[in-house]
Amino acid sequence: MSDNEPENEEIRSDGAGIVAPDDETPTWSERKARKTGLSRLTYEYFERARREDQDLRTESDYVERDVLAFPTWPHETVRNLSIASFFVGMILFLSATMPPHIGNPANPSTTPAVILPDWYLYWSFGLLKLGPLNPEIAILGDQMLMADRTYGVLANGVVVGFIAIVPFLNKGSARRPVEQPFWSAVGVFGVVFAFTISLLAIKNLMPMNVDLLFDLTFLLPFVFGTITYAVLKTMREGYMYNLNRRYYRLRPPK
Amino acid sequence: MADEFIKGLGILTGSGLAWLVLASWYRTSSFESSQQLIEPLSSGATEGLFNIIGVTLMDVFLWFALLGALTFWVLIPAGHQIMSALEERRNAQ
Repeated sequence: MSDNEPENEEIRSDGAGIVAPDDETPTWSERKARKTGLSRLTYEYFERARREDQDLRTESDYVERDVLAFPTWPHETVRNLSIASFFVGMILFLSATMPPHIGNPANPSTTPAVILPDWYLYWSFGLLKLGPLNPEIAILGDQMLMADRTYGVLANGVVVGFIAIVPFLNKGSARRPVEQPFWSAVGVFGVVFAFTISLLAIKNLMPMNVDLLFDLTFLLPFVFGTITYAVLKTMREGYMYNLNRRYYRLRPPK
Repeated sequence: MADEFIKGLGILTGSGLAWLVLASWYRTSSFESSQQLIEPLSSGATEGLFNIIGVTLMDVFLWFALLGALTFWVLIPAGHQIMSALEERRNAQ
């Protein structure tokens, strides 16, 4: 990475030329005045960090490493401290302003009126409530092939099986959603379905019509998946064009 | 575009958090209620100056969150699109 050869007059395409010296670092008002906005700021920040890294490498006592990355101190540590401070502050704020009511101790001799798993298992709990989808087979005299609870447990297997199959269908070579609109739509479908099936799990707590909630549970994932596919497909051409142009400007092929 | 997004998101989350706290004070009988945050005003919510201010701010924060996000995510970008479209049409002529 550290190329200290005398530069010829060709245009350097690795961004080294645009780094501002210390005394020319733009102020916030100057940065705000620029119309190019956040992308430019981000670009300059990373170029600055890259330049500092390069300066470090040129120092004699600096050990050359294979991995180009940000140092743990101060970059990563300051970032992690600020993130941790934010969440600690949010916990303190919410616990101070909205202290939860402490209920009576649990009575082990009675079953609570509302039984629910932890929130991250609501999706599985919701799959147990697919009774209306359990078909009544005509040749069995309008009887169900299996009980509703068996149907719900098998539905868990279907969902887990689909999630297990996805990595074999798509290797994940895309780095951005816009590169593979269909699989992005599948992902959005899954996320939205996880959310709606979780809401179905707490249907007796939801302040809305239960039948409407049941319909929306299966309709909304398709709606959002279709919207995602349409939007990404529309973005695709212009976005990829700009992306490739920027990529080849930064790192031209040899 | 990214600047407008973070403005809208900041307004939505910041103002929404303030609304959440005030609504948990004035419109929540219990955190196990299925109508929490959207219940009618609890009794005593309009007694005293500070409570009146709080109830007023609750509505102010709610509408600021909704209208602020709408403004920066929809109205202003749409305005930019309209202006650039008009500019293109003017240049084409």
